[in-house]
Amino acid sequence: MIINFDNSATTFPKPLTVRKAVYRAVETLGGNAGRGGHQLAMRSSSAVYSARETVAEFFGAEPENVIFTLNCTHALNMAIQGVMKNGGHLIISGIEHNSSARPAVTLASEKKIRLSIADVYPDSSKTVESFRRLITKDTKAVVCTIAGNVTGQIMPYREIARLCRDNNICFIADGAQACGVLDINIINDGINILCTAGHKGLYGITGTGLLVTDGKFRISPIIQGGTGTMSESLKQPELLPESLESGTLNTVGAVSVKAGIEFVKSKGVSNIFSHEDRICKRFIREIQKDDRIVVYRHPQAEYVPIVAFNMRNVSPEKLSSYLSEKGYCLRAGFHCSALAHIQLGTKNGCVRFSPSVFSREEDAVRLAEVIRKFSVQIRN
Amino acid sequence: MKKFIAEMPSYTYAVKGEKLLKSRGFDCKIVRSEKNCGYSLLINTSELNATKAFNILEKNAVPYERGTDS
Repeated sequence: MIINFDNSATTFPKPLTVRKAVYRAVETLGGNAGRGGHQLAMRSSSAVYSARETVAEFFGAEPENVIFTLNCTHALNMAIQGVMKNGGHLIISGIEHNSSARPAVTLASEKKIRLSIADVYPDSSKTVESFRRLITKDTKAVVCTIAGNVTGQIMPYREIARLCRDNNICFIADGAQACGVLDINIINDGINILCTAGHKGLYGITGTGLLVTDGKFRISPIIQGGTGTMSESLKQPELLPESLESGTLNTVGAVSVKAGIEFVKSKGVSNIFSHEDRICKRFIREIQKDDRIVVYRHPQAEYVPIVAFNMRNVSPEKLSSYLSEKGYCLRAGFHCSALAHIQLGTKNGCVRFSPSVFSREEDAVRLAEVIRKFSVQIRN
Repeated sequence: MKKFIAEMPSYTYAVKGEKLLKSRGFDCKIVRSEKNCGYSLLINTSELNATKAFNILEKNAVPYERGTDS
């Protein structure tokens, strides 16, 4: 028995429709998308365009402004390095994933940009104010996660977007933990560049990510090469999506993301959120029956369906390892998020519980029982 | 009826242009360009309607270059 409660890392299982779409894609899409005019190439090109349309419609963008990437980290690196190419001031939040924090810190340590980190509070208005205070005349971009990957705290992203718009700053949003459980529309939400994974809440396969832009801010490519267009020229094309999509596209991955988004749409984003949120709240109630459990949630903040917790005097890795032996998959440690753990004060990290649309409440209750039994066992 | 060619900067824009025109009743298809590894839209229509088709592409911000008509 394996029960996955580590869906924040990547969702598993994948929907049947996604698995079937992947199988069909491997079986039939043998051409290289956007390269050549023969039947196989055109068939693959058409499938990729169809995926682009699905993503665009889902996030309120134009198809040509959808860039397929390897993962969310890849998209964030492209966005951060691409927008900040000529220097300037960058602000990131104090709970950013390393996929934003590391490229930002690297650029700053190389003196290519000036970097500020905005404090995050349970009170949204205080968080927005901390961003506002950091804005200067040369602030070029703000990077903020829509929902933190450790506790799942939902950031005041619409307010931060408004702040950026009012100051002509590029707003780069990390949607890795939000897309598929929150209704994200780049136009309505004021997001200039949305970076997200295809394999988490969108239920595509691993090796898929998305950069979706409104096209208002230029993103210089960090990778150059074959795009299938303007091949006679040694200059990288300027137009999206090709300028940011050098090299053979992951056609199978793009098809999987399309099928995943169609699955999410068929279930309804708010229904998926409600289902997973109910499981999280039940899980919290059950584990808090043990007084050694610490749950990292604040009553003033809102959360996507993720629960970060610890058992006092027990290392997160030890607890996670025990749960794994019992068949439950939960991720312990720092979750690639140094900043968020500094903010939480979790020196040894924590354990993260994250359900998916396929998770069952009864499994979460059983897991909580196992955790409580472990607590008793090590107490004696 | 004549064949008009709009050379597109990429396959992505070729499909976008094709969908726009087809949804407005134009007879068109994507063909491989003779040069630059690109894709073109082959529009089968009258002189008057060709102007309309090119205007539709422009109004929808679909970049293209007018190719040699046949």
